[in-house]
Parts: sequence; structure tokens; C-alpha cells
Amino acid sequence: MSLDRLRQIVALRLRSLFRRGDVERELDEEIRDHIERQTEENVRRGMAPGAARSAALRAFGGVDLQKEQVRDTRGTRGLEELVRDAAFALRSLRRAPGFTAAVVLTLALGTGANTAMFTLLRGTLLRPLPNRGGERLVYLRQQTLGPEGQNVLFSVPEVADYRAGSKTLSAIAEYSSVLPFTLVGGDGAPVRVRAGIVSGNYFAVMGLEPVLGRVTGARDDGRAAAPVVVLSHSFWMDHFGRDRGIVGRTVRINDNVSTVVGVVQPAPSYPQPTDVFVNVVTSPHHLGAAMITDRTHRMSVVFARLAPNTTLEQARAELGRIASAMFRDHPEAYPKSSRYAVSVTPLRQAMNERASLVFWLLMGAAAFVFLIACANVSNLTLMRGVAREREMLVRAALGGTRGRLRRLLLVENLALALMGGALGVLVAFAGLRLLVAFAAQLSPRAGEIRMDGVVLAVGLAASVAAAVALSFVPALGDGHSLAESLAPAGRRATLGRGRRRFQRSLVVAQLAACVVLLSGTGLLVRTLLKLQSVQTGVRADHALTLELPLEGSLERQLAQQPRNLATFERMRKRVAALPGVDVAALGLEVPLRSSILDFDLRAEGRPAAPGEPTPHAALKSVDPDYFRAAGIPLLRGRPFAASDGREGAPVVVLSRSFAQRLFGDRDPIGRRVAWTGEVLKFTPISGDWRTVVGVAGDTRDEGLDGGPTPTVYEPFAQEVVLGGALVVRAGSDPTLLQPAIVRAIREVSPRQVVEKVATLEQIRDEAVAPRRLNALFVAAFGTLALVIAMVGIAGVLAFSVSSRTPEIGIRMCLGADAGRVRRMVLGEGSVLLAVGLGVGLVGALLATRLLRGLLFGVTSYDPATFGTVAFLLAVVGVAACWLPAARAARVDPAVAIRAE
Amino acid sequence: MSKPTDLVQGTLDLLILKMVALEPMNGWAIGQRLKQLSSDVLQVSDGSLYPALHKLEQEGWVTSEWRPSENNRRAKFYSLTAAGRKQLRVEAGNWERLAQAITSVVRLQEV
Repeated sequence: MSLDRLRQIVALRLRSLFRRGDVERELDEEIRDHIERQTEENVRRGMAPGAARSAALRAFGGVDLQKEQVRDTRGTRGLEELVRDAAFALRSLRRAPGFTAAVVLTLALGTGANTAMFTLLRGTLLRPLPNRGGERLVYLRQQTLGPEGQNVLFSVPEVADYRAGSKTLSAIAEYSSVLPFTLVGGDGAPVRVRAGIVSGNYFAVMGLEPVLGRVTGARDDGRAAAPVVVLSHSFWMDHFGRDRGIVGRTVRINDNVSTVVGVVQPAPSYPQPTDVFVNVVTSPHHLGAAMITDRTHRMSVVFARLAPNTTLEQARAELGRIASAMFRDHPEAYPKSSRYAVSVTPLRQAMNERASLVFWLLMGAAAFVFLIACANVSNLTLMRGVAREREMLVRAALGGTRGRLRRLLLVENLALALMGGALGVLVAFAGLRLLVAFAAQLSPRAGEIRMDGVVLAVGLAASVAAAVALSFVPALGDGHSLAESLAPAGRRATLGRGRRRFQRSLVVAQLAACVVLLSGTGLLVRTLLKLQSVQTGVRADHALTLELPLEGSLERQLAQQPRNLATFERMRKRVAALPGVDVAALGLEVPLRSSILDFDLRAEGRPAAPGEPTPHAALKSVDPDYFRAAGIPLLRGRPFAASDGREGAPVVVLSRSFAQRLFGDRDPIGRRVAWTGEVLKFTPISGDWRTVVGVAGDTRDEGLDGGPTPTVYEPFAQEVVLGGALVVRAGSDPTLLQPAIVRAIREVSPRQVVEKVATLEQIRDEAVAPRRLNALFVAAFGTLALVIAMVGIAGVLAFSVSSRTPEIGIRMCLGADAGRVRRMVLGEGSVLLAVGLGVGLVGALLATRLLRGLLFGVTSYDPATFGTVAFLLAVVGVAACWLPAARAARVDPAVAIRAE
Repeated sequence: MSKPTDLVQGTLDLLILKMVALEPMNGWAIGQRLKQLSSDVLQVSDGSLYPALHKLEQEGWVTSEWRPSENNRRAKFYSLTAAGRKQLRVEAGNWERLAQAITSVVRLQEV
């Protein structure tokens, strides 16, 4: 097609569309011109002027008809009609505001829930990682599969072996993070940062680019390199306020002066949030002989990139072979009983391990809500369609083809769906912040959640799909001739048998979906209640905790041991003397927070039984008042005393279940235990024998759904001081004391960092919070579903009653009283309810099995939950049926029959 | 309404293209000329010319222009585009082949 021709065609189409008035005027003029000329011609041939004009018109053959045919040639008719249909649809929807509001709201809730969940899912699970070539990234995990199996990370010699042996991995990077670091920036105020100590190739392997300056490279490896810092994007924004001049400046990290060399692009931080990346030279520990040569000194998280043209399976097989060889060559580093194993997981999958199940479940719940919403809307449409059957028939009689009527309906439904969809997207948008906060608890990728074109497109597609489906619900007199359809249309229309059955199936489906959602809600809520009733082992009320980290490197902390101890003790005394404070106690860590120190332990005179895993416990160093301040009961023996000092005999207090595990029913007091294991030699903790002087109550520091944490308490004064924490028990609200407490601390040491100030109740709550959000989300969906389903069943019954009014009238004439009529309608509803409940319970039994991983203290088939849900739905359902039933009972037979 | 017969419908486009190929003309003049030249054999109502004309315009075969005409009037004049000239050749060729074929069939000697 030539360009000129194309240009002409397009120009004409556009003109017909947007300059319709001009085009029409020209057509009029052209035809008028023709008629005039023909009239003149006729007059010339001798006709009288009047007759000449009518002859011209006659010869023309119907001006309007020809005009219509001219318009047909423009090829824009479909669009014009669509616009007209849309205007008509909006008018007719405005005439039915109740119907419109119900449909738009239902669809808004449905699409809103789905858009929100899809946004969440897309941001965290579906989208590729922002890392370049992120799909080739893998996360290596070394774990013990024994009874106390855990992720044990990798040691430097192990990484070296994998590097040397692997051909399927093109590069391996290490990341480790020890204790939090202290960073002193230009302003001189120390802040605690989460530092990742990374190998020089870390950023290259991870596929991350600098947004400012440079990232680390091979020259930053080794002990001769200068200490450098790469800032994470979020830390740069939050702490340095996007200062572009930061590159080249120096900061103090622990005791090293390091240069900020760059800021890395935003990327999810796995396995933990990281504020700054530093090279190995920044951490003296990483340069020590133990770190470099000891195979069991495992501190590194390992990321790798698959070599080109290799598959994950090949990498798994190869690493498996390397690992087996390693286990064989170094049996001392891999005790058989611990069952070491190495696995390779795509990084994206590893990041989403925790989030995946929950997010997919919520997506499923949202999809259920959408289905219920659609079912409900199609019911509403169906009922409205019946009421409009006459309108449709009249239109058909006036020449509307079936396709045209279908299109009219489609346009109307599109208008509804788009309004609902738009409102839904707004709802989702409003909830985005909450959503991100929720996602952040489960996924490192929460920061990537945003509403983009794809999300909106999916929302739009869902709306349009709903609209198209809905347009095929109402009958357009299918299979009937026009006359046949017109014949009964004088009377009130009812649904045909097939459509009625369809309508009822929709209600049953809604109820069933509702049961599934409510059962899920019930189980999660019960989980929450169970968790909240779990005894943490501490008295959580009226206790405030503060963390007082020490600045500087481990070496400096060890050198200043006695001084730090004295400083902490002075702070404690000041705080204890504050008015309103009952007890103030010191510990290395706060109660209910998991310990950074945990080791294997041996008990004197008690050799491990063959096959029995080595006892393993958390080490908590605490002062004599700690048990009282935290409200941990002392069950046997004595608490620590002031005499259990540096020079006194080493003593410990055991947690109850751990004492039981070690010594059974025998009295543990007076027996001796000692730390042991490979790891111990890398720490300043000694493996000396310590005498048990007491047994304290169990606490749950690893979350409320974990068991009691096996714990060994040591006197604060007898253990190395790696940092401090205060536990303050007050007579009234302890948070009111916080300013006074901080002031007292600063009086002793003006530069002391005070962190993570929280009441024990808050710490306890942190453990429940993700569950609460799970329950909240599913409960929101469940409630939505319940409301929508109840509107659905009430609507269907109401419709049934109104179409059966004459029948009810006749029944009443024949002697049925109001009660009987009411029972009849209620019966109709109850059948629907019962079937819906039955189907729903079966579905729920299957569906809730997916929830198993999220439950605590309840089984996935918990009879109490299912019973409650069934009861609730029955009660609410009957209540929803009551209104139409009451209306049926009020039917006046005389009126009903006369209306016929 | 008097629709042109099927044969004419198929060839009306060809005839109009031929007319405007001679010189730019307005709708009425095309109609007059058609009637004269075909000796009133073509039973076309005056009006049905316009859908055909507009279709040709929408297809890009002809283009139109408002021009002053005799007696101080304005009329819409249609003229052939370059693409239309090519199209005319194609359709004329088609028509000749068809006409020839039909003629030779009609002239077959009956036994």
C-alpha cells in the first residue's frame, strides 16, 4: 500500500471520528447540491418546480437511507456505537443506583484484594532479582541434619576447596557478619551498623553495580589492602541523606579508619539486612590464623554464580561430590552423628523460603474472594437481567440484533467492572504501606514492592474478564424466536429452570468458598490465641529492657574487661536508685531475645550415650538481680550472689528442662558442667568446669512456637563482658522511666549507645506480630467473603420471593398461614446453606492442610474451629434468609392475586 | 429502494473510477455521465452513487475537494489518486478478461 494512500485513509478515519460534525455537514451539502442540480435539470426538461424537486428526491432513493450507507463506508461505525452504548449504559446504571453500588463495591473489594496480593506476590516472588543475571545466582548452604540440625555456614578452608574443585560455579563470594559494628561518621556520634564482611568479588558475583563511586574488587582482598566501606543504598539514604560527596570520606568502623569508596545499587539484602559492606581487613578476626586455617571455624555465607551452560542439577551433583570427598578427608571436622550436608538453592528461592507459602496462601484467599465477588455480581446481574427481559425484548422488536444487545450488556458490565476495578486499585494502593510492612517480616524483597503497569494491567484484565463473563449470564431469549419470547413477556418474568439451578449453584459456591476462608481464619486466630497464652517464662509486665553495646573491636573489649564491668555496674546502681525502679539488673543480653552465644556442653561423670546428640545450650551471663528483674523463678538452689565474682569459684544456673535433660531426676545442684566443642577455641569463653548452684524456670527465647530454650546462666562478673543490657522492673508503667534511665546511664558514660529499648511485653509481641498479620489478612478476606456471600443468599431468596408472590398468594388463599410461608422460604434458604456448608467443609479440610506450617497448637482439622465456623455461617445465613422470608409472610393474598 | 443489480454492483466502482479518470467531477455530474454513456442500461438510483463514491474515497482510490462551480456554487469534486489509477488498470483488466470469457462462452456454437 502506498504511503499516500495510507495517509489519506488514516486522515479520513480520524476526521470521521473527531470532526464528525464537519463530515456530516459536508455530506448534507453534497446531497443538497445534487438534489438542486437534478431539480434544475428536471425544470430544464419542462417540469414544474415542485414536481421537479420531488422527482429529484425520488430518483435519489431515500436521502437518509443513502446517508446511512455512506456512513457505513467510514469504518468507524463500531466505535461510534460503542460510545453511544457507553453513554446509554451509564444512564441506565444511574437509574439503578442500588444495583450499581452493590456491584461496584463487591467488585472493588474483589479486585482490591487481588491487586494488593498480586502486587505483593509480584514484588517479592515473581519478579526477577534486581541483580544482573540474578537467575544464575545460587546460595550454598551447609547444614547438619542431626536432631539439633542447623545452618552451620562455611569456613575459609571449605570455601577454598569448593573454589578449587568446582567447574559448575564460575565464581564464589563470601559474606559474613559477626557482632554489630560501630560506625562513627563525620558528626562524631557512634551508631551501630549491621556490617557485612565481604570478599572482594562479592559485588561482581552478586551482579551489583555502584550508584556512586565503586564497589569492592580483588584489590580489596587480603591483609595488605586498605580498609574500605561500601554503603548499602538504604543506609546511604537514611543515614547520609543521599550525600553525593560521601565517597572518599573516612569513617571509623570499630577501631579502623576506613574510606567510603562507594554506594551500591538498591538490592535485597540476604540473609540479613546489611547497612555497610566492608572488606576483610576491617575485621581483625577475619585475619586471624583460626579464621583462615581452621576448617570448623564456619562464619561465611556463600553465594555463587552458575557457570555458563551449566544447570542447577549439574552444580548440585558436583558440589555433592566435592562435599563427600571433603567429609572423607577431614572426618574430625564432620562428626558422623551431626550428618553434614551441602545444598545449592537458587538465590531467589532461598530469599523467598519464608514468604512463599504465606504469600501464595493469601493470594489464594484473595482469589477466592474474587470468585465469590464474581459469583455474587453475576447473581445480581442475573436478577437484573430478568427484570430487564422486557426491555431487551422491546429492543429486539425494534430491530436490535442479538449481537447488538449482547454488546449493550457487555458495555454496561464493562462500565461496572472498570468502576469496581478502579476503586479496587485505589483500595489496594491505600493498603500498600501496610502490605510492605507485612511483607518485610517475611521477605528481604519487600522494598521492591510497588504498583507498576503490569499490576494495573492484571487488575484491568481481571475486571474485563469479569465483565465479559457477566455479559453471558442473562438470557437474551436464547433459542426462542422473537414471537415466542414476546408472548410471556407481558407477565412478570421468572428464571428458567436451568438458570435457577445455575443461580443456586453460585450461591452454594459462594458459601463453600466462604467456609474455606473462615476455617483458615479460625485456625490462624486460634494459633494466635495459643501463642499468646504460651508462658514465656518471664514476668512480662512492668519490665523495661535496654541494650548497651560496647564500642570498638573485640580485642579492645577484652583488654578493657574490668573497666567495662565496673562501668556497667555503676550504671546499674544509678538506675536502681531511681525513684519508681524496683530492681535493675545486668546481663549480656535481654530476656526473650535469642543468645548470640551457644555451645556444646558436657556434664561431669555423664558420658553421652551412643547416638545421643551432644547437649547444646545458650550461654547467658547475668548478675544476681537478673532473675528477680526478669521474673524468672528460681526453682532450686540459689541465685548468683555478689561473692560469685572474678575470683570466686565458677558457678552456673541451669534452665529447668536443660537440667532435666542433663541429669534426669537426680539433683543437679553441686554437679559440674563445662563448655566444649570445636567452636569454643575461637572464642574467649573458657571450657573450665563450673558448678551448678541453682535451677531456674524455662524461658522461650527462640520465639513462642519454639520449645523452652536450653540455657546455662553464668555470673556476669565471671564471664567476658562483650556488651551489656539492663533489665529494669518498675512499680508502674516502665516506659515512663525511660528518659530518666537513659539520663542515668549517660551520667556514667556520656557516649554510651543505648539501643533496642523495649518492654518485655513488646519483645514478646514481636514474636507474635507476623502471625497476627497473617491472621488479620486472612480474617479480612474471610469477613469480606462472609458479607458478600450473605448479600448473595439474601438477594437470591428475595428474588425468588418476589417472583413467586402470586404463587404465595394462591397458597395463602388455600390456607397457608404466615408461619408456613416463612418456613417455606427459610427452608429454601436452608437447603442452600446446608449444601454450601457441606461442600465448604470438605473443601476446607483439604485446603487447610496447606496451612499446616503456619499453625501452632491446633491441628489443621481442628474440630472446634470447624464447628464454630459451621455454626457461625448457619446463624448468619439464617439471619440473612429471615428478611426475604418475613417479606414472603407479609404477602397479602388479595393484592398478590389481583396483580396477576 | 432500487439497488443496482449484482453485476452492476461489482462494476459500479470500475465505472466511477473511469468517470473521474476522465476529469474531476462532482457526484451529480458523474451520475449524469453514467446514465448517458450507458444509455440508461444501468439501473442505478441517483443516491446509491454516493455510498460507492465515499467508499472509493475511504479506500484511497479517489480524493475529493470542494471547489467553486458554475452559478456561484460550491461542489465537491472527485478526482483519481495515483493509487486509484493503478486500481483502475487492475479492475479494467479484470473486467476485460471476464467480458471476453463470457463472450466466448455465449458465442459457442450450439449443435
